[in-house]
This record gives sequence, C-alpha cells and structure tokens, in this order.
Amino acid sequence: MKKAVAAGAVILFAGAALLSASFRKEDIKVHRLDNGLKILLLEHHTIPNIALYTYYRVGSRNERPGLTGVSHFIEHMMFNGSPKVPPGEFDRRMEFAGGSNNASTSQDRTGYTDWIPAAALEEMLEMEADRMQDATFDSEVLESERQVIASERRMGVDNDNDAILSENVQATAIMAHPYHWDVIGWMSDIQGWRRDEIIAYYKTYYAPNNAVLILVGDFAEARALELIRKYFGPIPSGPTPPAVVTVEPPQMGPKRVFIQRDAQVPSFQAVWHAPAVHDPGSIPMDILGRVLLRGESSRLYRRLVRQEQLASSVFGGASRTIDPYLFAVHVKPKPGADLARIEAVIEEELAKIKKEGLADSEIQKVLNAVRSDFYRSLQTIAGKAYQLAETETAYGGFERMFTLMDDYAAVTNAKIIEAANQYFTDDNKTVGTLVPEGGRK
Amino acid sequence: MKSRMSLLCLSAAVFLAASAAGAAFKLPVPEKLTLKNGIVVYYLKTAEVPMVSFRLYLKGAGSAQEPSAFEGIAGMTADQIMKGTPAMGAEAVAEALDFLGARAGVSAADEYASLSAECLSEHFPRVLDIAAACLKEPAFLEDEFKKARDIRLNELKSSKDNPGRAVRYYFLKAYFGTHPLGHFPSGTDESLVKMTAADVRDYYRTYYGPKGAIGALVGDIEKKQALVLLNAALGGWKGADVPVTATPPLPEPRGAKLLLVDKPDATQAYWILGAPGHALGDKITPQAAVMNTLFGGRFTSWLSTEMRIKRGLTYGANSSLQPYRIGGLFQAASYTRNEKIGEMLDLLFDLLRKAGRDGFTPAEVESSRNYIQGQFPPTLETNGAKANAYVQLAYFNLGFDYYDRYLAGVKTTSPEAAKAAAARLIPADDYVLVVVGKADEIRDQLKKFGAWTEKKISDPGF
Repeated sequence: MKKAVAAGAVILFAGAALLSASFRKEDIKVHRLDNGLKILLLEHHTIPNIALYTYYRVGSRNERPGLTGVSHFIEHMMFNGSPKVPPGEFDRRMEFAGGSNNASTSQDRTGYTDWIPAAALEEMLEMEADRMQDATFDSEVLESERQVIASERRMGVDNDNDAILSENVQATAIMAHPYHWDVIGWMSDIQGWRRDEIIAYYKTYYAPNNAVLILVGDFAEARALELIRKYFGPIPSGPTPPAVVTVEPPQMGPKRVFIQRDAQVPSFQAVWHAPAVHDPGSIPMDILGRVLLRGESSRLYRRLVRQEQLASSVFGGASRTIDPYLFAVHVKPKPGADLARIEAVIEEELAKIKKEGLADSEIQKVLNAVRSDFYRSLQTIAGKAYQLAETETAYGGFERMFTLMDDYAAVTNAKIIEAANQYFTDDNKTVGTLVPEGGRK
Repeated sequence: MKSRMSLLCLSAAVFLAASAAGAAFKLPVPEKLTLKNGIVVYYLKTAEVPMVSFRLYLKGAGSAQEPSAFEGIAGMTADQIMKGTPAMGAEAVAEALDFLGARAGVSAADEYASLSAECLSEHFPRVLDIAAACLKEPAFLEDEFKKARDIRLNELKSSKDNPGRAVRYYFLKAYFGTHPLGHFPSGTDESLVKMTAADVRDYYRTYYGPKGAIGALVGDIEKKQALVLLNAALGGWKGADVPVTATPPLPEPRGAKLLLVDKPDATQAYWILGAPGHALGDKITPQAAVMNTLFGGRFTSWLSTEMRIKRGLTYGANSSLQPYRIGGLFQAASYTRNEKIGEMLDLLFDLLRKAGRDGFTPAEVESSRNYIQGQFPPTLETNGAKANAYVQLAYFNLGFDYYDRYLAGVKTTSPEAAKAAAARLIPADDYVLVVVGKADEIRDQLKKFGAWTEKKISDPGF
C-alpha cells in the first residue's frame, strides 16, 4: 500500500518542441467561473471514460500546532456525508455508476481523483460540487474516521522504522515552517481536533476560488462546461485564504537525530534545506537528485550499494514544494554497516560535484529520463489529468509544463556547481540514524 | 490518502480476474509476427505517444520449476540476466538503459519468466539490442551474484521490522508449505546460502530458450521495422526444448489452520486469511469477480464497510482472487490496533458466513456489474497493459476475445450466480489464518477462534 500522504508531487515536464500532437497546450481549454473556480478541459476519446480531478490549494503547510494533520482528515471527511448525500453515499453512488476514486493530501494541495465512465459525469459533478460547500462533519462519523486516521498513522509511521526516522529528521531540520510536521499530523492532534475547528478550516479552504477542476477524457467541451456551470456556478466564492507567513530561519549548524529501536536493520538519512519550486535553483537540485539517486547507474547507488556494499538501496532527491523544503538522501544500510562511512561516502560524492559539477552525459541522461517519464504518464487520461493538476497547483499555472523542459535543457554545469555549493553545506544539513537497540551511534 | 491503492494494485496484479470491458471498448486484436526461429510476437501499432512496450514470456523459467532446495533461483536467475554480458558489464548495461530513460528487466512469475522493455520509440533499437544480448548471453558473474544474494538476505531480515510485510511472508509458508507457489521470489535464508552463481547458470541453461517463447510489441513503431529489429535481436537465438514439469496440485486446507506470530513491538495486529480460489479461465471467473468486488474488492465492499467505514477499525480491508493455471487462491486481509483484533475477526467470520448463506441483493449485484465494466477500459489503456494482455492471453490460450466473453459474463451475472460463487469460493470451515502482532495483547482475544500455533518473529525463517 502506498504511503498515506504524498510528500511533494512527482511532476514531469516536456518542452513544447518535444511534445507529440497528442498533448498540446492549445488543446487544453481554460475557463474560470465568476466565483473563481478554474477549469481545465481536455477532450480525449480513446476510451469511454473520464478522469475528473478536483484539487484544492490546501495541505499541511496551511496548518498550525493543534491542527496538524487536519487537511488530510478533511480529505477523509469529504466522503462522509452532506445534507444531500448521506454518509457513505458518495462512494456507493459513484461505484454504482461504474466509477472509482482516490484522494490524497500533500504538504501543498489536496486532490480528489475520480475515474468514471463517461455516462457518470453529471452525477459526479453534482456530488463534487455538493461536497465543496456542504460536507456535514457528523459527530459520530467524525469520531469513527478519527480512528481510521489513527490506524493509518500507526500503519504508515509508527510501525515503520524508516518513516519514524523520516518524521524525526524532518521535524529536526525544519524548525518553524509548517513543513516541520508530517502530513498525517501528530497522534495527539489526531486525537484532539475539535469539530468546530475542523469546520472552520474546511470553510476557509474549500471554496471555488481555492480550487481547480480538471477533466480529461470522453466528453464534449460545451456540454461539460454547461454541467459545471450548473453545479459549481451557484457556489459562493470564499474569502482569500490566509497566506502562510512563517519563513524557515537559516539553520545555524549541523543537526543530528539518533534513535534506538527494536529493529533488524538500521535506517539512515541525510537532508539539506533546498529551494522552493519557484526558485531557479530548484531545477539544478532536481537534476542533482536524479544523478545522485535515480537508478542503478546513479552515483550514490554505485558507491553505496555496488562498490562499498554498505547498503541495499538508496532513494530520495528534491521535492517540488511551494515553500523551501528538503533535499533528502535515504539509505537502507545493511545490518551492521558502518553508518559513519555511509555519511562520509555521501559527503565525498557531494564534494566532487561541488568542485567539478556533472558530466555532460549525466545532464543529458536526466533530460532523456524526464522526457520518457513524461510520455509514459501521458499514455492515460488519468496521467494527463495528474500532470495538469500537479503543475497547476505547484506552479500556479499548468502552462509551466510546456516551458520547464527548456529550462532543464538550459541548465549549465556552472549552475549545478553553484547550487551544490549553496545548498550542500554542513550548516544546512541534518543527519538521522536509527539503529537496533544496543547498537552504537 | 483515502485508501484505494490496495484495490488498484490488485487489479493490476491479477488483471485476468479483475475486470471487464465497458460497452464501447474492446481490446484491439494484434497482428501475429513470427520470427525466424519460431518465436511468436503479437504486434499492435499505437501512436498516442512516441513510445513502445515489449514483452517476452519464457515458458518454464518460473518459480514453479524450482527444486525446493533452490527456492528463489528462478527469481535470482531472472534478476541476474540484466547484469551484463561478456562484452558489456552490469554497470554499462545500467548506464546505457538509464541514459536512454528506458526501463528493461526480467522477472520470474510462477510458470514463466518475463522480459519487459519500455522506452521512447527512437531508442527502441538500442534498448532491444541490449536486452536481447543480456537474455541470450548473460555473464552470470560471481561478484554480481553475491551482491544480489546479499541484498536479498537483508531484505528478508528487514521484512520482519514491518508487520504488514512480514505477515505476507508467513502466510505464504503457512498456506502453501513446500509447494512451489509458496516459494519466496527472493529465496530464503537457507536456500540463498546454498545457492551459487554456477547453479544460476545451470538453471538458465536448462530453462531459458526461444522454444515456446511468446512476445508482444505495442507502440509507435512500423511493422516492417519491428520485424527487422526483432529478427536481428532474437530471431537467431537457438535452444533446445525447455522441460516443463507439471505444477503439483495445490494444497487444500482442511479445518482451520491458525498461526500467531509474536512481534512484541507491534502496535497493530495484521492478518491474512486464505482458502482455495478458482483457476485461470474457469467459467466461474466473471461471477467470482462480481462476488469478490462486493465482498472485499472495492471501497464500499462488505469488508471495508464493516471494518473501516462503520467502525473505524482499520485504514483498509480487502479480499482478492488470484487464479493460477491449476487452482487459485482467495485471500482476505486487514489490520487493526491490538485491542481490536478479536472484534475484527468476529466481523470477518460473520461476513464469511453471510456471503455463502445469504448472498447479495439484486442492487448490490447490479452495482458490482457496473463497477467492473466501468473500471475496465483504463486497465488496458497503456502500451504496456496491452502488451501484457496479449502475452498473457496467448500464453494461457485464452483467446484475444477473452475480455469480451468475460465482460458478457459479468454483464449477465445474476444474484443467484453471485451467491453460488460465494458458496464455492468464500470459506466456511477450511482456511489458513495468520496473525502478526503483539502476542501478550492479542493472545486472549484469539483463543475463541481455535487452537493457534505460535511463533516468535525473532525465530529464524518464516
């Protein structure tokens, strides 16, 4: 089962010049209702289905202590009833109509993803519009769902050593900004959210002016727009949600987390503060993440897994987040592996990059991977809707999808060296280790 | 995340049993290409994206052929194939494929091994070349073998840190015993220690060859070019017949076999219940799918409704049907906090009894039929999904109209037929149930379900 909550979306890009005819900017029809709801429509008739994605610009970055995890909780409660659609009915009606769905919450956005037969469009639009304004938060249902979340947290974090370490490292590296806590929230907050606070949060962020609606698939644009106007048009816009004002202060020196637990194998991770998605440094950092950590030919896989055989796997890299977050290197060490040596190897590899940057072939490799990943995701209507939704919410406009590849292609080795030297510093770094009880630091 | 992922993964993994086509959607019939050495490749041109997907099934190279002492050798052999040729080392292969943004690998299923490659069309000649070179002439270097063995041993060890993963391993052994379908793809501590690179080489020589291999190529590539490339890469591959031994009959549980694995630091208890399912192509497949969708195959299923939606006992509860050529497996699984495991299993047994006894309402059955049909078209949307479908249907002789027939069966499944499927496939008295959790907090709650065998998670093996 996938991790409960997404930490930074995986967005893929291609330049306009590289795109095939199947996915062109001009085919994506943009509309905005008077109440502020943004609408992206892409007709595509290969299968008799529609991907209907509703994204809200709210995630754990909008929370505060005491209400951590509430964005994700509201995601769950959105399936649990309104005056028109009693608890459980949303899913029952949707499945009866042949549809399925999921929903996910990240630090920056909450997304509702419906995969439906074309004939179910009107019913789904009606229900999506209904829960945008009228979710009930029935007390009894709320208490039951609270325990579902507690179970999700126990499964996703408390019974998983890597996740325990991640949560601790994240909370240590980030001191002030709401990225301090995991999207799932602290257990005491999960058990403590009050109903009135939850509703106030919902009323603040669930409004047409804070959402984007995306349809890809087998529909006619005019008819779809007519239905959207019918169901979403009457919803009043809300006040502009408050800005996230806290800025993470610069880190003053290296930090360390050390955890001892009942474990068969240790866990290791290192993180550095990294730039926000709008920062020009975010592209060089993404390239670095891929060269260091992606695939068996990546630098750290070769050093740690193959050559020195200190680890069984490595993963991580940069996240695309609205505010500055972390560049992460996760390592699954072998039992008994020298964790100090793992850290030293990572530092050696970073030092090389800070001095010499990357080979041209490594940068080209990243461009090839970005392009093939992009096309791979465009094979499905759901993949197209996902790319549109994630780019729209991360960048504030899906159009960025069509220019980003050019920016990737324009990154020079000098920019790579500059970014590596700026971000991969000791003062910017937090290292976490989790070792079996009785093990050494 | 709301929790549907388990269901989505399920439909991808057992797609032959999973779903059925919407009214306006059919799997396109591919063209049959025959290579110089007789390998059959089903081909379909698509132009949605400039990419191609290639699959090749190698008969007999799966885990069902493994001797018990060499559990995991099929998976290990498959894994080692892409680790280089005499002319190109493992790192050079990884570098070349990563450089092109390509995905290529070999994996072992129960009956066959499968080569899979996916890349941009412009890179396909190079990617096919590399993959075919690895397949025809793998180096099987001692050093690469040791690295892979080491990683597997570590993964087995670390799986015990995660009760959700550990329960699957314990279940396989508890249900299948020494039957090859219960083999861990990774091997076990015992088998890995004994295995050598020479054993892997021998296994490859015996079971890998072009005889009986079936392929599929789907994507943005012309037929003429495809045939030239495939013949150049694979048409000259020679080999003897591959020995295929019949899979022994599947174990059939008699009575309740109960296993409790004590993991003293677990805050939740994880369980899997298993019982015999149905075979691939069994005529009950559509009715079984309608039934399982209602029992535990979607979000509003009985299991999910009673355990998650109504009581908040868990984040997810589901059931699945895994068909094999001979027989199949029905599984139900979930988890809850330690103090609730007794309540959850009571619910499970109530629902198991109710399914066979009462069946489903006409409205439920209609909903399940709609759901399966509505969710079907996206399952065959990508090049890779179509290629998978072609090789699976051809390998198991199900015919390319299989989904049409399956869908027709779904569409006409009556409440009586769904009830009959439940009566046959939902276990009443004969099953295997494995629980991993903190024994001190759950042992007493479990007593009422029968006599439990107990193991400690720190005991060697599973």
